[in-house]
Amino acid sequence: MNEIFRNLLRRKVRSALTISGIVIGIFALTTMGALAEHFNSLLDVGVRYAGAAIAVRPPAEQQTGLLPLSKADEIARVPGVAAVRPAYSVSADPSNTAIQLGAPALITNEQDATAFGFPTPSFAAGRDLAAGERGEVVLGSTMAKSYGKRVGETVDLPVRPTDAKPDFVNHPFRVVGVLAKTGSPTDGFAQVDDEDARMLLADTLPPALRSAVDVSNLAQTFNVYTASGTSLAGMDRIAQRINDTVPGVQTQKPSEVVANFKSTSTTFTAIFTGAAMLALVIGGLSVVNTMIMAVGERVREIGLKKAVGAHTGQVMREYLLEAAVIGAIGGLAGYGLGLGLTTLVNMAGASSNLDIFLVTPRLSAIAVGFAVAMATIAGILPAFRAARLDPVTALRSL
Amino acid sequence: MADIQLVNLTRRYRQGSHTVTALDGVDLRIESGEFTAIVGRSGSGKTTLLDLAGLLLRPTSGTVLFDGEDTARLSDGRRADLRARRIGFVFQEYNLLPGLTVVENVTLACRYGGGDRREGRRRAVELLEMVGLGHRLRHRPDELSGGQQQRVAIARALVNRPALVLGDEPTGAVDSQTSDELVALMRTLNRDEGVTFVLVTHDLDLAAQTDRVVRLADGRVVSDQPAAGGMAVTASA
Repeated sequence: MNEIFRNLLRRKVRSALTISGIVIGIFALTTMGALAEHFNSLLDVGVRYAGAAIAVRPPAEQQTGLLPLSKADEIARVPGVAAVRPAYSVSADPSNTAIQLGAPALITNEQDATAFGFPTPSFAAGRDLAAGERGEVVLGSTMAKSYGKRVGETVDLPVRPTDAKPDFVNHPFRVVGVLAKTGSPTDGFAQVDDEDARMLLADTLPPALRSAVDVSNLAQTFNVYTASGTSLAGMDRIAQRINDTVPGVQTQKPSEVVANFKSTSTTFTAIFTGAAMLALVIGGLSVVNTMIMAVGERVREIGLKKAVGAHTGQVMREYLLEAAVIGAIGGLAGYGLGLGLTTLVNMAGASSNLDIFLVTPRLSAIAVGFAVAMATIAGILPAFRAARLDPVTALRSL
Repeated sequence: MADIQLVNLTRRYRQGSHTVTALDGVDLRIESGEFTAIVGRSGSGKTTLLDLAGLLLRPTSGTVLFDGEDTARLSDGRRADLRARRIGFVFQEYNLLPGLTVVENVTLACRYGGGDRREGRRRAVELLEMVGLGHRLRHRPDELSGGQQQRVAIARALVNRPALVLGDEPTGAVDSQTSDELVALMRTLNRDEGVTFVLVTHDLDLAAQTDRVVRLADGRVVSDQPAAGGMAVTASA
């Protein structure tokens, strides 16, 4: 191994340029990969949620966008339906209307449906909402961080915009729990009791409608749960039954929602693969070039090694190892830079729920492993040329 | 100890549309413990003979018997193993690896010989002390004089305790005083370690210091006699 490092140091500038090529490639791979991993993790959560419940919405032609709670009883009578829960979501930060890369901050009502396969929340601190207790909130990790709130403190929701209209209303909630970071959109959610959610929904209505609409009997959507373990195809059939037998509602087949998420995930994976290809071309060509030059410069050394007993395979292994070391140095440096940049950007964006990079163990292994594998593969041709050199010709070359 | 026998050894090269016969039916036996010089003009086939005896080249016809074993039938891998364990090389241009220290250059031969690494290093240090370079173990080749570099190359050739050391103009790149010192060193190693030396050289002074001088011309052995004018051995043409 010492010999390899000394060989690299013999041609410092060339080694540095080659390694720089790999660094750039792996840096691109790490950052693009971290972006793709972040979005794919969001999409994975989408797939988990879409696969856990059938979303029932008002028909597209209905203007109010709300459903009477009584529909829950009708839906519950459809064969295969295990539970029906109303679902509400209002913006937690109405002033933040800019296009954002991160998930929006939302206030939702807790689903309490883990018995039906809904993802189980994991708490970093505190506890779950107490049944029937008003004024309590469980914050997602990002929301707790961005609002600087801990268990036991009070948070006013929604957050008052700087240009709030005179009729803007918000309410104090006591933070009873903070969820562990999941890397999913739920990190930016605040969960409240159903009644509190309906109260917050009413606050979002135009003042003229607030007194006319009784939200206590309304839901924005319903989440329909099936027996735990029901297949997507089984949920599709139940969704179709709801469409066929319950008037005034509309469902989308969970398999279609999952397929949409997966097709988007494929797009991000394609971006990631594109970055990998870029790394492959830049890094691979520079390694091939460097190793061919190294073999050309060390012809006599190779001849000497063969004269003192080196087998063809041993010479080949030495050159492949040198190429792999170049790849490992470039890979680690590129990964380190990528990790540094993504961490900095995430830290800068954390306060605005804008952590857009996710460096997973899988991505780390791919970035470094890819660099080593790419450099090793690129080293095969030069190593083969070195190993096949005729010792007599090599020893007496100029 | 090595007994090398070249049997009707012929080597031809293609050079453009011509075929050049570098070695033409040479029969030669080198006994264990001999200190032999191969002399001849440029193009006489000296180096080709050395390459064939060192198993770096395969003959066009004929064979090399190494301790009675027909090497023509051996695979490339087995020939490499024989080179690693039984043969040492000393070249005119030293051929030391510039990225390695003196002691690492010597133990390079152990890397491919398959022996114990610690024992290889101990032997390398012992040899370097024997050739007067015990104080330069961690120096790089470019920090040594030509004579010192050739001493390192001699130590490298001997580190695996080979039976045969082949020298290709081993004193060709040093001054006459250093040349005498190197020959004296090889003589000592030949006597003390019992190693067979075969040196290819233009230098008749060097040849005169060996036991036996084999003269080649046009790829054939034209004379084979003791160096100090003693009794002639076999002369094959």
